[in-house]
Amino acid sequence: MGLFRRLRRSKARRVCLIGLDCTPHSLLERMMGEGVMPHMAELARNGSLRRMNSVYPWVSSVAWASFMTGQNPARHGIFGFIDRDPATLKTFIPTATHMKSRPLWQILGDAGKRVVVVNVPVTYPPQPVNGVLISCFLSPSLEKAVYPPSLLPKLQELGYRIDPDPWLARESREKAWPDLWDALEKRTKTLLYLLDHEPWDFFMGVIMETDRLHHFWFELMEQNDSVWAPKFFELYRYVDEFIGQVRERLGEADTLMLMSDHGICSIKKEVFYNRWLHDAGYLRYSRPPEEIKGPDLEAMHPDSVAYSLDPGRIFLNLKGRERDGSVEPADYERVREEIAAAAEVLTDPDSGEKLVRRAYRREELYRGPYLEQAADLILAPVDGYDPKGALWKPHFTHKDQAMVGMHTYDDAFLYIADHSLPTDDLSILDAMPTVLQLLDVPLPADLDGCGLIR
Amino acid sequence: MTQKGFTLWFTGLSGSGKSTLADLVYDELKHRRGLKVEKLDGDVVRTNLSKGLGFSKEDRDINIRRIGFVCNLLTRNDVIAIASAISPYRAVRDENRALIGPDRFVEVYCEVPLEVAIERDVKGLYQKALNGEIKGFTGVDDPYEPPLNPEVHINSGRETVEESFHKIIAYLEEHGFIEPLGESGYSKEEEEAISAHLEALGYL
Repeated sequence: MGLFRRLRRSKARRVCLIGLDCTPHSLLERMMGEGVMPHMAELARNGSLRRMNSVYPWVSSVAWASFMTGQNPARHGIFGFIDRDPATLKTFIPTATHMKSRPLWQILGDAGKRVVVVNVPVTYPPQPVNGVLISCFLSPSLEKAVYPPSLLPKLQELGYRIDPDPWLARESREKAWPDLWDALEKRTKTLLYLLDHEPWDFFMGVIMETDRLHHFWFELMEQNDSVWAPKFFELYRYVDEFIGQVRERLGEADTLMLMSDHGICSIKKEVFYNRWLHDAGYLRYSRPPEEIKGPDLEAMHPDSVAYSLDPGRIFLNLKGRERDGSVEPADYERVREEIAAAAEVLTDPDSGEKLVRRAYRREELYRGPYLEQAADLILAPVDGYDPKGALWKPHFTHKDQAMVGMHTYDDAFLYIADHSLPTDDLSILDAMPTVLQLLDVPLPADLDGCGLIR
Repeated sequence: MTQKGFTLWFTGLSGSGKSTLADLVYDELKHRRGLKVEKLDGDVVRTNLSKGLGFSKEDRDINIRRIGFVCNLLTRNDVIAIASAISPYRAVRDENRALIGPDRFVEVYCEVPLEVAIERDVKGLYQKALNGEIKGFTGVDDPYEPPLNPEVHINSGRETVEESFHKIIAYLEEHGFIEPLGESGYSKEEEEAISAHLEALGYL
């Protein structure tokens, strides 16, 4: 079958890209060295495996949106898993309807390329493509996640699932473990089915279970927990086997790419920046705080100076922009500098460690027509101190027992077969133009990333 | 919001993108929004409801009246009817509009320059008409009378399919034919469910 596939598909150039959400370069190196990922190790010998930078803030929605557009957030308009309308202070979940730029698959479709795109974050609601698109975990149901809908019965037959249930992991790891495996097995089975049965010029599937594994088990792996560390690597052995099965299906003219969107590290503490803003006198509430749920900004008192949304995004309560804004535009720079300086000296009340590596002004990170939608300050955390966005918490820092992994910026990875990649300063913004290069599709003029094929 | 019936009538030259758009809108309304929708495609109708009819003006008018008749039955029972047919003659289209009711009839004019339609020639019919193998072909040797005041005007020579699709959906939402989705594309219940999922993952 392998030879037949190679003969059948040896004509046109194609690209197959598998995303391993949240898989760090450093962990891949370790697992290749320890024999957990033999297929990956073999691939690395015949291609380039590089460390890659993510984007600010390094969460999957922003990172994958930046990947699929090759642009920074001030151009594509996705700044987090949650955003706010300053005029009403209502929060919303950014989806593909908020995306200001055309993703990779639309550009490829225009060029006559057929695409299969599965489980890339921020692809809900599924937009029509030249091919197949199955949306991500922002989809309310499988029925609403699939384009074209005629594919739905087959996905149901395969038992395809949008995402594992993260509430199970909040309850207990024992309960969550079989659910995580079930979702992973069905996802890989479906991806292999689509590889075999759908025509494609560009195939992309993202494995999300690696991210869930890391959030709820990473620290236990690092601590070499006698029960969970072996199970952690068992899951990666399965992922490696899947990568091998994908590779086996590709022909001579096909290029395999693999990538993640950010890295991971163990959480020392969750850090609730709204609690800090409150304690420092910048944030007040218009309701008893214990009644406030999640990021309910409408419970903010009009006298407030600043507020925060996950992860580490700080907005001034600016007059003329925010509903009931209090900060005069003339004071904007002064107040922003004051909060930035105060954030940069914050420390863990228990260990004394610094919490914030740097407080970035938005114009230091982003450039583009939607800069005004960005937070005024973006806090880059010290690894281990996970920024959180709830408007009220009874504590400033907290060690959660369930959530034990947080994202990192500079430890994502990019792999490409049969080509040589630069060794330094790779950005997730470069992956999309690289796909276009490989498929001989002209690069749009307004990209921030650059093609890596020389 | 209770579903209200209406007829979405796509008209335009062969190759103007009527069927493509009709299929996309059908999928959106039926599968994503869970509405009751039926589709009447001109080519399909000619294989059953209008089997045996030719392409004389009289036969074309009968065909369009039949499609309009079925659309009216569906619409008055609060099913959304999506018709896509060249429907070249203005008078018969307007008859259907009067039958179904002007407040329940949404005419979508898919305009395309003739040379673009000829170049696309998805079904190979223009070539045959230009070679004289087909007589009375709309746009070649039979007239097309564009709508004077369509509710939605698509220019498939200049717009992408996505732009045209969004233009139609926006019209239906803005004029109360269908309920707008929330800003994120969710109903209230869906947004609560997704928020809960994100909360469990620590993103809120």
